[in-house]
Amino acid sequence: MLKLAYQYMRYYKSQTFAILASMVLTSALLSGISSLMYSSQIASLENSKAVYGEWHYSLEAEPEIFHSVHNGEKGTGFLVEQWGKIQIKDMVAEPYPIYFIHADESYRQMAHRELIEGNYPKEANEIAADHYTLGNLGFSGSIGDTLNINGKDYILTGIVKSIWAPDANEMEIFVGENFAGRGSHSLLYLKFDEKEKLYKQLDAFLQKYKISSEKVKANDEVVMYLKGEKPERILDIIKFALTDEHGNFTYIILKLQSEYNLAFRGMILLLCVFSLFIIYSIFNISVSRRRAEYAVMQTLGISEKRIGVTLILELWLLFLAGYSLGCLLGNGIIAGLSGTGLVSEGDKAEDAVFHVAVNAMLAGFVFLLAALVFVGFCTVVSMRKQSIRQVMNGDTSFIKRRRKIYSIRNRSLSGVVVRKFMFSSKKKAVGILLSLSLGGGIFLCTTYMVENLKIHAEMSLKSDDGLGSAYRISLKSNVLSDTIHENTVNELKSMPELSQVYGTKYILGELIIGKQELEWDEYFDEQNKDSYFRQHFAGICVEKDDGTYGIKYDVYGYDAGMIEQLQEFVIEGEISQDELKEGNKIIAAANRDGQGNYNFYGKHPGDTITLRVPKDMNCSSDVLKFQSPGEYYITKEFEIAAIVSRALAQEDSYLNAESWSNMQSLIMTNRQMGSQFGITDYSFVNASLADGADGQQVRGLLLEKIQDVPRAVLKDFTTAIETRKNYLSRQQLFFSGIAGILLVISLFHIMNSMNYSILSRRREYGIIRAMGITDIGFYRMILQTGILYGLLADVFIFLLYNMVLRRFMDYYMAHVVQFLHFTAEVPNGIMAAVMILNILIAAAAVTIPAGKIIKSDIIREIET
Amino acid sequence: MDYILELCHVEKTYGEKENRVRALKDINLQVKEGEFAAIVGTSGSGKSTLLNLIGGLDTPTKGEIFVKGKETGSLTRKELTIFRRRNIGFVFQNYSLMPVLNVYDNVALPITFDKGKHINRRYIEELLKELGIWDKRKKYPNELSGGQQQRAAIARALITKPAIILADEPTGNLDSHTTIEVMGLLKASCKKYSQTILMVTHNEGIAQICDRIIHIEDGMVVSGARPFPGKGGEGVC
Repeated sequence: MLKLAYQYMRYYKSQTFAILASMVLTSALLSGISSLMYSSQIASLENSKAVYGEWHYSLEAEPEIFHSVHNGEKGTGFLVEQWGKIQIKDMVAEPYPIYFIHADESYRQMAHRELIEGNYPKEANEIAADHYTLGNLGFSGSIGDTLNINGKDYILTGIVKSIWAPDANEMEIFVGENFAGRGSHSLLYLKFDEKEKLYKQLDAFLQKYKISSEKVKANDEVVMYLKGEKPERILDIIKFALTDEHGNFTYIILKLQSEYNLAFRGMILLLCVFSLFIIYSIFNISVSRRRAEYAVMQTLGISEKRIGVTLILELWLLFLAGYSLGCLLGNGIIAGLSGTGLVSEGDKAEDAVFHVAVNAMLAGFVFLLAALVFVGFCTVVSMRKQSIRQVMNGDTSFIKRRRKIYSIRNRSLSGVVVRKFMFSSKKKAVGILLSLSLGGGIFLCTTYMVENLKIHAEMSLKSDDGLGSAYRISLKSNVLSDTIHENTVNELKSMPELSQVYGTKYILGELIIGKQELEWDEYFDEQNKDSYFRQHFAGICVEKDDGTYGIKYDVYGYDAGMIEQLQEFVIEGEISQDELKEGNKIIAAANRDGQGNYNFYGKHPGDTITLRVPKDMNCSSDVLKFQSPGEYYITKEFEIAAIVSRALAQEDSYLNAESWSNMQSLIMTNRQMGSQFGITDYSFVNASLADGADGQQVRGLLLEKIQDVPRAVLKDFTTAIETRKNYLSRQQLFFSGIAGILLVISLFHIMNSMNYSILSRRREYGIIRAMGITDIGFYRMILQTGILYGLLADVFIFLLYNMVLRRFMDYYMAHVVQFLHFTAEVPNGIMAAVMILNILIAAAAVTIPAGKIIKSDIIREIET
Repeated sequence: MDYILELCHVEKTYGEKENRVRALKDINLQVKEGEFAAIVGTSGSGKSTLLNLIGGLDTPTKGEIFVKGKETGSLTRKELTIFRRRNIGFVFQNYSLMPVLNVYDNVALPITFDKGKHINRRYIEELLKELGIWDKRKKYPNELSGGQQQRAAIARALITKPAIILADEPTGNLDSHTTIEVMGLLKASCKKYSQTILMVTHNEGIAQICDRIIHIEDGMVVSGARPFPGKGGEGVC
């Protein structure tokens, strides 16, 4: 049978080549994308480590535990690869909250706070700090100079690496062991063996030292890649989704994504299925050419089982060669490209180190190897649908006929013949059209996602962490009366080195709603549990004595430029600058649940809301809990003008502090903030660099400007923006690349399908030629077939994309990746290009076999 | 005398060097209008090759073929196709009907290749009735018997009112009863439409029905081997 399989491969060289090529291309795609995704996950992990540190967990520990770890004591089930220790020696509140910490070298290395200049402090009056802290403290001297912090003089002995700009909320001063502080709170930082599951190692560690898990803080952004938490069982996830009232399909998807890396594994599975589809489709074409031969063999006594085994052996032989070649090709291309930094998904191009996804490739190999058995089985089963005689004769009597005489109405029958050939088997025609439209459909989906990714990325930059502006001046304070004076903002606005200077006013408020309006009653549960919110604001959503609920809200005052930018985020209603200026209209940012659904307590534009804010900006911190008597607050009603998905330029000292971001927000104009609540000064300012301005110089100028503003700090996002933009453009390139490769494979498939579709009708075309059709007429007829296929494939693509794929993508973007808005459409140009390309390719694909037929002998064609 | 078909020193060679096969050697032949001639010979004698050359489905290595006075070798590929379509009708052993078209459309098919040419529905009806398959006009080839399929093929060959009908073993796949029927139809058509028919057969018995028998042996027309004298005769150009 092996010999027979080999003989078939040799005899049908072109088809063997087509199957092999399909295997090489699809396995190249499978292995290349797997390695690319794997590499990008590794790059993301490395990037997270670079930003958040190399450590996995930190915990408060007793001295004996430090001692034990220090002595390298080993336990079962865990391996501590590295550990570091810090001691919080002191803390000052002025001019900013600053921690004085003593950190050992191992911690500094794990947290990427290495010395970049000078020495680590030893004496009690020596310190080291980063540029961010030093700049904001107004220090412009050099190592060896004295720096005064909160009335005490310190000698700067070294400069350490700064924290990643968007996360630079805490200021740290490094001190020596001899530093005389008021505290000595110690934290142990652990890095376990990354080859093993981290959560298991942590459990074993905690068990050995009898430490409560509540004392442990995980480096979430890092451990999420390394199985830092015990995943829930898939069965339990599904059970919950099916039985709990809050469970649904999205819950399953999101859970699988967070706990089982669904995006990666799902992609591998999709690629495997795509590969199988292409291989099956091309193999089916090949087999259909020799069905008659198999039928002859059956009459000679060979069993179906043996034919099936021959087919499987043929597939396996080709697969062994094709898969190995494909893996080499796919990984080779990606490795080559990653050298250029073009296909890295990590934040930093220089981190683009290529990793081969061996496990994914092995999984793909096993899947496809097993699936090919299924392909062989399906092929044999499909042969059964016709009797041996029918198969031998190429009998098509099973096809349903229409009793219609076409020549009565049609002057030319070639169009009729073309259509009849195409739809002689509707199932087959639909199969071909579906396969023709698959590549185009996937390409459109990817383009749709890339287009929306661009918008989402831009909107995220604007709203997430201030990366929409190069500079952000904010106040390191949670006292409302700490503000940036109007005059300072005006001075900043007049700086020629800056553009788009936006000052934002801020006040913490409380939204009052009725119990029946609190539609997502569990939405605030998590927030209410947070000790930070409990301590500072007595919780986020609090039930009042009268049965209403008070929900803490960030209330922002934007200027015209920022209000305009908010237009992109509108979910409902309209933003009219004129109406907002003075009136009592307000913009509300909707709440978004974990599954990407938006809601603003069932309210819509035109509805009113009741908002309370402290009357006096100099209020005590208790007033911010909104539990003081009514005279401490201004209570007003506002009409909702529009509901938006996010607020821009958000505060980071009140509700958005700690690990929280994008908290509940209400937005009005700066003028309204003055007229409604009497707020004249600003809480933060965002600014961009004017064209041609020197970033370093502007930074210095800004630090000078805010020198006299108490607690004001400057954050410089220029490098972070550049890095993020590079990352996004690479991400877009990554998706476009995948789409492009899929399109190429599908074009190859179209060529092969068309080729087969034409050549399978050689005899009929021979008859037509014998009847006297000219070469041009024949080409025209064949082109008609190609164009018809192309047009129908276009209709298929259009329907498939709009009725199925796009809906799926909308769901995916709204609920899984949770894009802010997906307002972008596939550009008409690209849509038209795909449609035209389909027709052109289909037309070009049919002319090749048509040329073959024209050159061949009519008699021989008829006699086949 | 004008002949509808004339072959002058026609030769056909296949292959090169040691693989060279001379399928036809110096064929000279004339056929008059309305003649029903049988080309008879053993398997591999070259009779089908001769028919293909006459029909313009193949080109001679040497010599000239005149159909209605037109030398087919002088025509371009396109001209030859059109000439063939308008002047030559084919009937094949395996019927060669389009499986996706019904009988009526199969018959009308060659006409539709000629742009602007009117489909003479009356003529189609007449032909189908004459051939006894009018009631089968909406049937597809695989729904017909071999004899019915061959009748449809004959109707298709006659539809363009060609100068010559070339029939390659038209009864080769038929039983004896149907063979007689089909031969009768061919003969009747020949008479009714003054149609010239050249039929290849290896069956001497069937050949007897024809007006004239042309014997081919080893690629050459064998003169003198003519048991029944026909209307025309072999001649030298």
